[in-house]
Amino acid sequence: MVKFNKYVKIGQPAATTPGAEAAMVKVAQKYPRSVAILEDGGALALDWFKANAPNRIIECGIAEANGAVIAAGMAAQGYMPFLYSFTFAVIERAYNQIRQSILVDRFNVKITGRDGVWGEMGISHDIVEGIGCTRVLPNLVIINAADVVETEKAFIAMADYVGPVYFRMEYTAPTPLRIFTDDYPFEIGKAYMIKDGKDATIIATGYLVTEAIRAVDILEKDGIDVGILDMSTLKPLDEDAIIKAAKKTRAIVTAENGTVIGGLGEGVAGVLSRNMPAALVTVGVEDEFSQSARLSPEKDELKDLFGLGARDIAISVKECISKREKMGLIRK
Amino acid sequence: MAHSPEEIADLEKKADVIRRNIFRIFESSNLGHCGGTMSLVEIVTALYFHHLKIDPNNCDWPERDKVVLSKAHAAEALYAVLPEIGYVSKDNLDKYYSFRSPFQGHADRWCTPGIDYSGGSLGQGLSFAAGMAMAEKVETTINPPAMPVAQGFLPRLIVKFSPAYRVFAIIGDGECNEGQIWEAAMFAAKYKLDNLICIVDYNKFCLDGPVDQIMPIAPLDQKFKAFGWWVKEIDGHNVRELVDTFDLVNNLYGDGLPKCIIAHTVKGHGVPVWETTHMHSGRAEAISIAVKEGRKIYG
Repeated sequence: MVKFNKYVKIGQPAATTPGAEAAMVKVAQKYPRSVAILEDGGALALDWFKANAPNRIIECGIAEANGAVIAAGMAAQGYMPFLYSFTFAVIERAYNQIRQSILVDRFNVKITGRDGVWGEMGISHDIVEGIGCTRVLPNLVIINAADVVETEKAFIAMADYVGPVYFRMEYTAPTPLRIFTDDYPFEIGKAYMIKDGKDATIIATGYLVTEAIRAVDILEKDGIDVGILDMSTLKPLDEDAIIKAAKKTRAIVTAENGTVIGGLGEGVAGVLSRNMPAALVTVGVEDEFSQSARLSPEKDELKDLFGLGARDIAISVKECISKREKMGLIRK
Repeated sequence: MAHSPEEIADLEKKADVIRRNIFRIFESSNLGHCGGTMSLVEIVTALYFHHLKIDPNNCDWPERDKVVLSKAHAAEALYAVLPEIGYVSKDNLDKYYSFRSPFQGHADRWCTPGIDYSGGSLGQGLSFAAGMAMAEKVETTINPPAMPVAQGFLPRLIVKFSPAYRVFAIIGDGECNEGQIWEAAMFAAKYKLDNLICIVDYNKFCLDGPVDQIMPIAPLDQKFKAFGWWVKEIDGHNVRELVDTFDLVNNLYGDGLPKCIIAHTVKGHGVPVWETTHMHSGRAEAISIAVKEGRKIYG
């Protein structure tokens, strides 16, 4: 029987989007100056806005560069604009606009991007580089929640925080497990230790936390006790939590739904090499783009192609432990 | 109401003060975007000293009219104005381009009182101004002003006779090559942003050469008209024409049309060597020669 920490109770798979929708309704009610900026890509809680505050729906059409800067201009006047679309559109089509018009002055704009390698729409829409291309931007907080409970709590926390945030949603990834209990206290910038383990630590974000939890069962059969750290905030990274985990196990496996180049993998690598050298294996997409995959089992095939599944994580954990032994690193 | 010749003469004198401030900026820095700054002198003078609703003692007054300088490389024109209003002290004129100076290389809202937009990456300012204008429109629907309603009549419209604030976007002509300008133009027309006034500093030159050779934008008036804007072409160095146009635009508030004032200007205006050689963002030597020439004319 696997023992998880407080606030964790593994349940059935549950989609994250309803969590974000529910949070958006609460936020829209709490903040009368929250506005939905649309780019012909829909919006969270659009039905609520239509019924209760149609004046707070601002449709910019297929013009993401304009949409991002309209949001900035409204934020300059005390509004809290919520942008929502595919990451390639809402972030990448407006990359310099976000940099220059939103981040330079730290305007209170919340950007939700549909991100990740899984999707039906192919190479254009299934984004591998979403974390990497945003992590380099100053003044931007990046959040990637692991399950429906964390999604709702993180979304509300994003609204309560004053400043620009990128909220990464992997809406076409396989459905993640329900992981947290309703009293889980989410905090921006704080990673949560879902499970302790003495042999190695998996640092995962978003949907890959689900795969990491599944990897625990595989590893347990081989007598390996692995910890899981949910890195829900990708910027700023919770360096203390990473260092603490590295000190304990000296074997770290990162797992993310995207490219490790500039992503969680390289972020953790930087923290480790600056503070607490440890054996490191990064699970994620290598230097390549994604492609279409419909419902499972095709999505499982995509998972196997990129090596993002529980089995791949388990293999990586074993590889990491043997790496640690070869390096002669001692656990403290 | 027509403005008296004295009033216009006063503004023209004020424009010379702004020019001298700009010379002082260039004398200390020996760097800068001279051409696009000089073409703006009368425009910013007419705006700040005649037209804008501003409180010299309170830069953070929410109802202050906003100025979004999209062509933020010409920030020197605003830097020359800000000490005259009293938002910053005059010694900053000698600190342009300096470390920790409020007069950064490109206009920076974060560190300069009175600057509404941090620009430098061209094509974005009109969208930003439209966002600010949109905020003013939405504010009315969130907090509708209390209105007396006659018995038996339902208020069908929230009637406003003047906006809480207006937003002036100053964009360059070369900048109109950017697609985002036209995204913003569509947006402003769609949302009937009659509190948004776009001033095009049509000085005919880009960095690489004449606009009509680099990437022609003419006929600019017809383009804006086709996008659903009210358009007027004026001489951007004629103070009377500028103030009359601003007054006219003010009176048109409520027509639901965003306004575009195409101000025909001369790059490097007022200094012959800049006007003729087009050394518009020149370096040390060229600048010091031109500034000396300008000092001879304007003191």
